Amino acid sequence: MKVKYVNPFLKASMNLFKDYLGLSLESGKPHLLANPQDLGEVSGIIGLAGETKGAVVLSFSRETAIKMVSRFEKREYYALGSEVIDGVGELINIIAGNAKQDLLDFRIEISLPGVITGGNYKIHWPEGIPVVSIPFGSELGPFTVNVSLLDMDKD
Amino acid sequence: MKILIIDDSGVMRRIHKNVLIERGIAEDDLIEAEDGQVALALATKFPIDLFLLDWNMPRLNGLEFVKAVRALVQYQRTPIIMITSEAARYSVLEAIQAGVTNYVVKPVQGEALYAKLGPYLGK
Repeated sequence: MKVKYVNPFLKASMNLFKDYLGLSLESGKPHLLANPQDLGEVSGIIGLAGETKGAVVLSFSRETAIKMVSRFEKREYYALGSEVIDGVGELINIIAGNAKQDLLDFRIEISLPGVITGGNYKIHWPEGIPVVSIPFGSELGPFTVNVSLLDMDKD
Repeated sequence: MKILIIDDSGVMRRIHKNVLIERGIAEDDLIEAEDGQVALALATKFPIDLFLLDWNMPRLNGLEFVKAVRALVQYQRTPIIMITSEAARYSVLEAIQAGVTNYVVKPVQGEALYAKLGPYLGK
């Protein structure tokens, strides 16, 4: 998967978490996720379709998810309830929707977000496409943005 | 002035509501809908003066809602502000062509959002 397909998600994540939520954010080096199921306890997922196919997953620990949504809504949450799950869905929706503006090689439709929780779930990533994981560190805890997108061009 | 806030995320609806309430809009004037289908039913029951509309929603999405509501004679000129994460240029054009009055890309709240809404609030 080309860097130019990962960068829009990195940029959209920086925009959301650093510029908008005001977190002091550090992004680590994007790397292939050896085990595509190696994700946090709370994951927001969006499918990408249209002129390519793929998925993007925002993954947190339970504690970080609660703190992130609290910061996003400016309202304190203390448990992983329906509001926090809804908020995680909105965060991944913003990342995917914003990334579209820089994915210039193809027109993409994004699915409605889904959020899965727990310690033993399995994400059905698009078959045969590697998953690139972008790690982030923040004062609210670490998280990852994971992207799997089919290369359509022949550059 | 009745404002219909249409978003499948309760978090986003609360964020929008808070921005408006903090700036003097009465809570009673704010109506919520979790998708376009519910919004369309509400709009046929109550006269709406301003729509704040998400794009990606189940059942009837934002774009489908715009087309449906613009077909109603009473809503051909009512402002519809689309507030969405859909930032691609082709998405903006598609929404404007469908009849959206103004387009705001999420994440946005507070002053930035209010600055976009102000002209439609008579302020």
